[in-house]
Amino acid sequence: MDQASHNEPVDVLIIGAGASGAAVAWSLTETRMRILCLEQGDWTTSSNYPTNGKNWEAQQFGAYSIDPNVRGLETDYPINNDASPIDVVNFNGVGGSTILYAAHFPRLHPSDFKVKSHDGVADDWPVDYEQLEPYFAQNDRVMGVSGLAGDPMYPPKQPPLPPLPIGLVGETMAKGYDKLGWHWWPSDSAIISQPYEGRDKCLNLGPCTSGCAQGGKSSTDITYWPQAIRSGVELRTRCRVREITLNGHGMADGVIYYDKDGQECFQKAEVVIMACNGVGTPRILLNSKSAQFPDGLANNSGLVGKNLMFHPVSVVQGVFEERLDSHKGPQGCCILSKEFYESDEDRDFVRGYNMQIVRGAGPLTTAIHGHASGTIPWGPGHHEAFRKRFDHVASIVNVCEDLPEECNTVTLDPQLTDSDGIPAPKITYRVSENSRKMLAHSLARGKEVMQAAGASEIVSNELLRAAGWHLLGTARMGDDPASSVVNSWGRSHDVKNLFVVDGSIFVTSGGVNPTSTIQALALYIADVMKKNLANLFD
Amino acid sequence: MRPMTNDVIANDHPLSSAQQQRLSALLDTVLPASEDGTMPSAGKLDFLAFALARSKDLLPALARTLDHFDDEFPDRPLSDRLARVQEYAGTNAKAFNDLLFHIYDCYYQDDRVRALIGAMPGAPFPRGNTVEPGDLSLLDAVVERSQGYRRPPR
Repeated sequence: MDQASHNEPVDVLIIGAGASGAAVAWSLTETRMRILCLEQGDWTTSSNYPTNGKNWEAQQFGAYSIDPNVRGLETDYPINNDASPIDVVNFNGVGGSTILYAAHFPRLHPSDFKVKSHDGVADDWPVDYEQLEPYFAQNDRVMGVSGLAGDPMYPPKQPPLPPLPIGLVGETMAKGYDKLGWHWWPSDSAIISQPYEGRDKCLNLGPCTSGCAQGGKSSTDITYWPQAIRSGVELRTRCRVREITLNGHGMADGVIYYDKDGQECFQKAEVVIMACNGVGTPRILLNSKSAQFPDGLANNSGLVGKNLMFHPVSVVQGVFEERLDSHKGPQGCCILSKEFYESDEDRDFVRGYNMQIVRGAGPLTTAIHGHASGTIPWGPGHHEAFRKRFDHVASIVNVCEDLPEECNTVTLDPQLTDSDGIPAPKITYRVSENSRKMLAHSLARGKEVMQAAGASEIVSNELLRAAGWHLLGTARMGDDPASSVVNSWGRSHDVKNLFVVDGSIFVTSGGVNPTSTIQALALYIADVMKKNLANLFD
Repeated sequence: MRPMTNDVIANDHPLSSAQQQRLSALLDTVLPASEDGTMPSAGKLDFLAFALARSKDLLPALARTLDHFDDEFPDRPLSDRLARVQEYAGTNAKAFNDLLFHIYDCYYQDDRVRALIGAMPGAPFPRGNTVEPGDLSLLDAVVERSQGYRRPPR
């Protein structure tokens, strides 16, 4: 196929093949529209994932790092984190960050959509849990989610697969929570505990965050995309979008992108859907300047790139006398606690956090992190300290809700560019006073439960730097065009054929990993689009 | 023919014999055998072969590190060697941390070492691991004491 026919106009152009791009593409296939997805990265190959080799741990510090600045791949873009205490971590390729995510898959709570009404802060969402519930369930089925029904912290839900084994780590921590009378539950995980839809079950390899060689982890390259492609969606890789273009009527008419040879191309489209998440989406919108939108496309509100929310994360690690086999099993998916998830007037902060129990690391990571933290020396004391910790630790990752603040931003870096010369994103972020208090509370409660569980030694990290997985809020949804970028179904207030379906449309962050909610939103938006096809741009 | 000295590479070995001795002593200093004798020292492993296989860039950096130590280094008592390595680590933090990473990487990939620490040898995939399901009857207490989720205001 020559380049001209390759770039024939399409009905729907999706930018980004990650969590939300895959879901929206899959859902829209039933419209029979011509759908194209442009993805700047490649397909990954499971036989290349680190756990195929003996040096699997070392690769997590290099080519399979979660940090794009460490990986330094041509398919990544650099990110300036200098003005942020939290580094952005992500992956660019088919599947997006689901390739390297831990697959911890909780949903936002019903209360998360009504923060203003409940607690008088931030804003309510223009959608609620009840509206999204069918899409959460649909997403669970397509992705393949394991979990246990009956969690009293949620409305009734039924994960399609039974829970992953919680192991000695989960059981030990569960006893600690029970001793204190605190909530805990096996985590909902986008990892299959039984053979499902042609995929074999999780083998408990351990390091999900360097790609799953088994295919037990539900990344969208092996869930949504094969189905979407079979249904006619074209997915074009190594195509990096520089900007969205406008026609004379103020409607998006396509994109300019660079192909794998660095060749500048134009792709015409009737509808453009952004699915690049909370950093990639504002980056492209801000880079799409025109006479009509001198401050970036769809930015009449001035809010594109503002209100960036991460989840500030504290970590409490307990060392136990007994062996916990910590390095075995999905590292990020074990049990969780929502004991401190909701606001409580007796605390000095609003909103709350999720306590995610994670398993331990492999031997190299144990030794290297032990060296960095001063808990495992090199030299004569090494073996004794190593023996005490390896396979003897459990950790609590406290995922704290981050409230939106306009001073937390994604902007275009004036100097830094990617390999195609497109300006790189610059992150400007501060941890709020509310978050600081929440982090301190989470550390204290984490230590308490570690003691209750029987830890003989406890170490903690009050703010994890390499924790910027959850990139939210930079093109927020809302009913008022003055205070939001897109409407309640992801359509730009300013450009009627431009949609955003990723984490950037979150109004608030909740206190849980957001992928499940991002995908439910993408499916919801796709459904509203389908119902309104006849008057989509009215 | 020039006389051979300790610092002349007289064969195809990538390090001189003096550098090799310093390397062995350095490895035994950074990661000595455990006091109970169960864990071998890093010097017992073929670190050089590991380094050569890992990266061509590793060897020049290794040679530069080794050249910070004198020919007497291998014969010094452990406490003396520790002090010298600590001094090097303090003034060459990045180079030392990089080397330490590779030493640990070599050591904890070794099948004998992995067996001794209770980890399975070789690549995790496709072997996998067995994880206990855990006692989910512990959840009965959670359900019993729960007040349920927070409902949105009407």
